[in-house]
Amino acid sequence: MPLLRALALTLLVMAAPLCAAPSEYQVKAVFLFNFSQFVEWPSNAFASPDAPFVIGVVGEDPFGTQLDAAVRGESVAGHPLKVKRYRRAEDVEPCQILFISATELARFDGILSSLDGRSILTVSDIERAAERGAMIQFANQDNHLRLRINVAAAKAAGLTLSSKLLRPAEIVGERQG
Amino acid sequence: MTMVLLTSGAVLLISTVASFGYEFLTYRHSAVRNLTTLGSIIATNSTAALAFDNAEDARGILAALKAEPHIVAGALYDRSGRLFATYPDNLPKSSLPATPAGAGYRFEQAWLAGFQPVVENERPMGALYLRSDMGAIYEALRLHGAIAALVILVSCLVAYLISRSMQRQITQPILALADTAQAISARRDYSVRAPRTDSYELDLLTEAFNHMLTEIQAQHSKLNSQLGSLHLLQHITRAIGERQDLPSLFRVVLQSLEDSLPIDFGGVCLFETAAETLTVNFIGPRSHQFAATLDLAEGSRIPIDRNGLSRCVAGQLVYEPDVRQLDFPFPRRFAGADLRSLVIAPLQVENRVFGVLMAARRAENAFHSADCEFLRQMSEHVALASRQTQLYGALQQAYDDLRQTQHTVMQQERLRALGQMASGIAHDINNAISPVSLYTESLLEREPNLSERARGYLTTIQRAIDDVASTVARMREFYRQREPQLELARINVNRILQQVVDLTRARWSDLPQQRGVVIDLRTEASETAPEIMGAEGEIRDALTNLIFNAVDAMPEGGTLTLRTRVAETRPGGPDGELEQQVYIEVSDTGLGMDEETRRRCLEPFFTTKGERGTGLGLAMVYGMVQRHSAELAIDSEVGKGTTFRLVFPAYTPALITTVRVPHLVVAQRLRILLIDDDPLLVKSLQDTLESDGHVITAASGGQAGIDAFSAAMSKADRNFDIVITDLGMPYVDGRKVAAAIKSASARTPIIMLTGWGHRLVAENDIPPHVNRVLSKPPRLHELRTVLAELTAKPA
Repeated sequence: MPLLRALALTLLVMAAPLCAAPSEYQVKAVFLFNFSQFVEWPSNAFASPDAPFVIGVVGEDPFGTQLDAAVRGESVAGHPLKVKRYRRAEDVEPCQILFISATELARFDGILSSLDGRSILTVSDIERAAERGAMIQFANQDNHLRLRINVAAAKAAGLTLSSKLLRPAEIVGERQG
Repeated sequence: MTMVLLTSGAVLLISTVASFGYEFLTYRHSAVRNLTTLGSIIATNSTAALAFDNAEDARGILAALKAEPHIVAGALYDRSGRLFATYPDNLPKSSLPATPAGAGYRFEQAWLAGFQPVVENERPMGALYLRSDMGAIYEALRLHGAIAALVILVSCLVAYLISRSMQRQITQPILALADTAQAISARRDYSVRAPRTDSYELDLLTEAFNHMLTEIQAQHSKLNSQLGSLHLLQHITRAIGERQDLPSLFRVVLQSLEDSLPIDFGGVCLFETAAETLTVNFIGPRSHQFAATLDLAEGSRIPIDRNGLSRCVAGQLVYEPDVRQLDFPFPRRFAGADLRSLVIAPLQVENRVFGVLMAARRAENAFHSADCEFLRQMSEHVALASRQTQLYGALQQAYDDLRQTQHTVMQQERLRALGQMASGIAHDINNAISPVSLYTESLLEREPNLSERARGYLTTIQRAIDDVASTVARMREFYRQREPQLELARINVNRILQQVVDLTRARWSDLPQQRGVVIDLRTEASETAPEIMGAEGEIRDALTNLIFNAVDAMPEGGTLTLRTRVAETRPGGPDGELEQQVYIEVSDTGLGMDEETRRRCLEPFFTTKGERGTGLGLAMVYGMVQRHSAELAIDSEVGKGTTFRLVFPAYTPALITTVRVPHLVVAQRLRILLIDDDPLLVKSLQDTLESDGHVITAASGGQAGIDAFSAAMSKADRNFDIVITDLGMPYVDGRKVAAAIKSASARTPIIMLTGWGHRLVAENDIPPHVNRVLSKPPRLHELRTVLAELTAKPA
């Protein structure tokens, strides 16, 4: 028994560096998935009860395999999770969460406006994205990933954000116009 | 009161402990629930913080725990189990579990601590750890304890007050009752009564108690009196059990009744069924003063009329509470003696009343039912004891009879032994005197030249021998116990009296004179006395015995009178034939006999002479009297003397039918074989028979005789004409000899001589082959007659 315990300790020590310090997009991928838990979509957001819950990424995908890893095997209220990647805004298919990559900075407003009226949670890590109409913006603050939320945009899209999601986030007023 | 307080205290304590336990458990349970609720709130709120890795926010949420002062630590762990946020902020990590454990709160040491999962939409987000101290529980319990203590205190106080009041009202009267009961049983004074109380219910109790005491008092006195009666009854029963005769039994009963019951008059009457009267048998020692007035002296008779006595005699106990009310003569007597109450109890055994017991008292109504019952029971005891006394008497009588019978049997046994001995002696004596008899007879017959004096001597010798022979014969009569064959002869009583005087002279004259005592012998003979029929020897012996007894009765001397008289009676009445009786009297002036001695003097072995007497003298006299059909009368007076009177019927010639006259038989010359083991007898017989001219061959024993006879048979001319043989011989006895000779020569007659000759003849026990039996000592003339008869037959 003492031998076994020693072996276990050794394994733990060796594993520690592997677990430590997840990368930025690893965290963001998990956050993207977590949004599915705190946001409520209207029922018409899905084509059918067993339609997949799609997390879309428009623009250049910064996650690599991280996002796929985060959602693998998961589901939200019976809808299996799926990740889709779109080159351009035009390619965006119906989805529930859409991450707008930083590469789309130029087309940012266009993308948002093209999604107008659709119940898609828009997320981006572009600077001041929330002010510009994205519903949730990843912001780096004191080396911590923080959320900035545009409640009005979400409301306009027919999404209900959990108050719990709002607690740790920074609420950004709607930019009218 | 202590009891009440203790009880209520215990009840309170138990309920408090139970309540404490319940409260404790409840508090623990609710503490867990509260903590779980709190944890749920925190956990629900912290899902986003965990989901979006916002530790600051998480800390903010945890900070809300401040509101709950008993929460000493809280922590959030993320999905991978890493510590995410703590409360308070500065809580050292080491005081928290490194990784989350299973869900649920547990009490450990002084804390309530545990994890609960943080879940959002059923997705685990992490875990919440909370730790609460037990202060809340202890505080609640402290409060509870204070309240309980207060309740106990107040309850005990109230209980104390109530029990004090109750004690005053209930316990004290009951204790008073208990004290009374104790005092009563300690002092045995049942007259004490418990005091009344002012409570109605307790008053009922007291009354019931007092009533019970009254009952006990009555029962106690009843018991005491019954115990007294029982003691008296036991005393009387024991006393009468020791008595064996009725008078002493009645005395002890009446005395006890007079002393202890007590009664003023007591008496016992015995009932005579046939005469229908009661006889006063016993009057109590102190009751005699009444006996005269009552006319109830011991022995007086009371007729039974239709009064209480008849009922009592029928077996009922009769109680007259006041005899003055009665108009019967018997109760009147008691009224006259100032005895007013009377109880008459029957004495009965096996339903037969044999007497009554009377008990009377001066006062009227003086006997209670208990007294009557006592007298009834005691009468039963007395009756039983009387019955036992009678049975005892009967038993004693039976025992005496048995002893008498045993005595008689023993005497008969002694007689039998004596008879057997006498028989043996007789045989030897008969053998021994045979030569004397034979020679004397031969001399008297064949010697005409004898001087007169020699002839007189020989005659006396012959008479003496005859007496010896008859004495020996009579000796055997004791043993045989049957009427002997008497050979009666005419006897002159005066002559026989004179003979006896001569024979006993030494006894009445010489021996007393040696002691200086003079016995004056007078003979008063009646010259006209007729002859009597009798056995001379027996009468002589009887008179000799009477004279000896008379001499023994006069140790200081006196007058001995021998008298013969003639009396004439008419046994057939005044017109009957005149019969003469001859009296022979022997009178002395000696000591005389008392009634007892006179009554028993004829019994065998009864003697007043101690070792000197055989007790057979008078018995023999009586035997002789009976055998002669005579009578024996005894007149005796103590101090005056005794007269024995023998009464014989006088001889009348008509009585004699045949008179055997001895005649000399001239016998022919015979060849005789004489067999006897006694040489003296052989010699004397041979001498006398040879002098008759016979030829005698003598043999000294049975075998020798048979041999001699056989030897003679072989020579035809030397045959024996007759054989004379003894019966008792060693080896070959007379019977065998006779058998042998008869088988050799059936026609040769055989005469058997025997010392038992009389008996053989009398018992018809003549042995086979024997022609005639003659007894020893043989009489010469008898022998001659037989020889002539037997040898004449073939001729």
